[in-house]
Amino acid sequence: MRKKSVYPYWALLPALLIFTLFAVVPLIGSLIFSFSDWNISRFYTPQFRGITNYISLLSDSVFLHSLWNTFLFAVCTTALKTAAGLALALLLVRRIPANNLLRTVFYAPCVLSVTVVGVLFKAILSKTGLLNNALTAIGIMSTTDWLAHYGTAMGAVVLIESWMWAGFNMFIFISGLQAVPKDYYEYASIEGASAREKFRYVTLPLIVPSFTVVITLGISGGLKVFDIIYVITNGGPGFDTQVLSTYVYQSFSLGYLGESAAGSVILCLIVTLVSFLLNKLLVNKEVEA
Amino acid sequence: MSRKEKNINRIIFIVLAILAVIVMVPVVMMVLGSFKTQAEASQFNLALPTEFHPENYLYVLKKGKILNGYKNSLLITIPAAFFSIIFGALAGIVLSRRQTKLTESIYYYFIFGLTITLQTASTFALFKVLNIYGTFFSIICLFVAIRLPFTVMTFSSFVKSVPRDIDEAAIIDGCSFLQMVFRVLLPVMKPILVTNIVVSAIDIWNNFMIPLFFFGSSKKWTVSLTIYNFFGQYSREWQYVFGALTLTILPMLILFLFLQKYIVEGMVAGAVKG
Repeated sequence: MRKKSVYPYWALLPALLIFTLFAVVPLIGSLIFSFSDWNISRFYTPQFRGITNYISLLSDSVFLHSLWNTFLFAVCTTALKTAAGLALALLLVRRIPANNLLRTVFYAPCVLSVTVVGVLFKAILSKTGLLNNALTAIGIMSTTDWLAHYGTAMGAVVLIESWMWAGFNMFIFISGLQAVPKDYYEYASIEGASAREKFRYVTLPLIVPSFTVVITLGISGGLKVFDIIYVITNGGPGFDTQVLSTYVYQSFSLGYLGESAAGSVILCLIVTLVSFLLNKLLVNKEVEA
Repeated sequence: MSRKEKNINRIIFIVLAILAVIVMVPVVMMVLGSFKTQAEASQFNLALPTEFHPENYLYVLKKGKILNGYKNSLLITIPAAFFSIIFGALAGIVLSRRQTKLTESIYYYFIFGLTITLQTASTFALFKVLNIYGTFFSIICLFVAIRLPFTVMTFSSFVKSVPRDIDEAAIIDGCSFLQMVFRVLLPVMKPILVTNIVVSAIDIWNNFMIPLFFFGSSKKWTVSLTIYNFFGQYSREWQYVFGALTLTILPMLILFLFLQKYIVEGMVAGAVKG
């Protein structure tokens, strides 16, 4: 007879039940209802409509534009956050005065709530905001309303998101850099490697795991972005800075539940696929120290 | 350190210090602005206030319902973080300690949850059908479900580094499974416990999307929502908006400064484990 295990299966139940009911069931619901004419007036009596919702989404120029914006946002913020985080980390692993204080300041923005950050930057980027005041003070007359044009609005949101998370990535890179054994650098010095060669052939290959974390988190978080866009531009001007999450929310609040569900399914598919592929790709590049 | 290296470090320090000042500009503008008159606050500059108006804060506290927002945020954050960690730890420990086909599949079932995005429309319908729409209960359940994949994953990978002898000793001493988890394993796994507390609390506290989508009544709004709405109503009176923002940020910044070590280590460890 098999001995009864010390680790009972019932301990899995609370987690399994809640996760299934509130995360998996809605996903299955979205899949099913995305093929129906589900809307607020036929809330309990949706009818099967085939792939009509998907077709109408993919032929909606606002949806396609929001799809493009989503990828643009994810890629640009990831690139900026990664580059800025790595630069800060490389500078702050040195013995700089007030090292800890500087790290704290760069890290702090990411614990702030996005709403607060959003409202603050509205004050900075408006027509009479801090940025224009500062530009005028140094002699460049500027009355641009930074959030009223697609290019500057998108750029602003990307920069703000990077401002928030660069310090977080800095810490991930610092812990990666500190794990590189010191004698590798000494050995490279003996071999006559220059500072640049040391970085290229010693540091970079050994901090690939940090890149894996930073890039995967950045891309998947960027694809899911909602609040910073909603608070700062609300998808505007017009629908110019709309991303997938805000699009889904908008069609939800207009009562087009079937279309909203189809949008959610598309977003979820993209995030799952991209995170999976990215992780595979990056993990393959990792080497043993 | 050589002289040359010292000089380089000094230059780097100056550059980084300037950068740090720039990073702090929004916060400085906010704190200064909260003490100004309406006219001065809406000039959006970094000048010191000519008249000092601390009573702006009294107005904000009275009108802004910030304290109510705090109460609601706590009512959601504490139970949601607590239950996601307890249920996640129990599941993570069992999944990692019992190596069977079944536990492996269940583990991947949870991991898949890491990439699930919020299904707005059908979650709304689910709440309606269960007749819990607009309640704290529904929001807490949703947060627990969203946090669980992460807690399950981190506990399950961390418990691998805890020797099984500890479990066996506890059982021989007459512990039940639950006693073993709460009296022996969780104390040993303090680092990952702290990570999860920090990451969950910040994530849930700062979440804007879920309360926005699924709370109809403004009585239940969290801090983030309250602030956003306050800005909508008072968008011409920036001295009050700045005051409200300061009241929102301040407790978090103070908490951050005191718990900095745990927060930074917790969030970074969380990311690396994730």
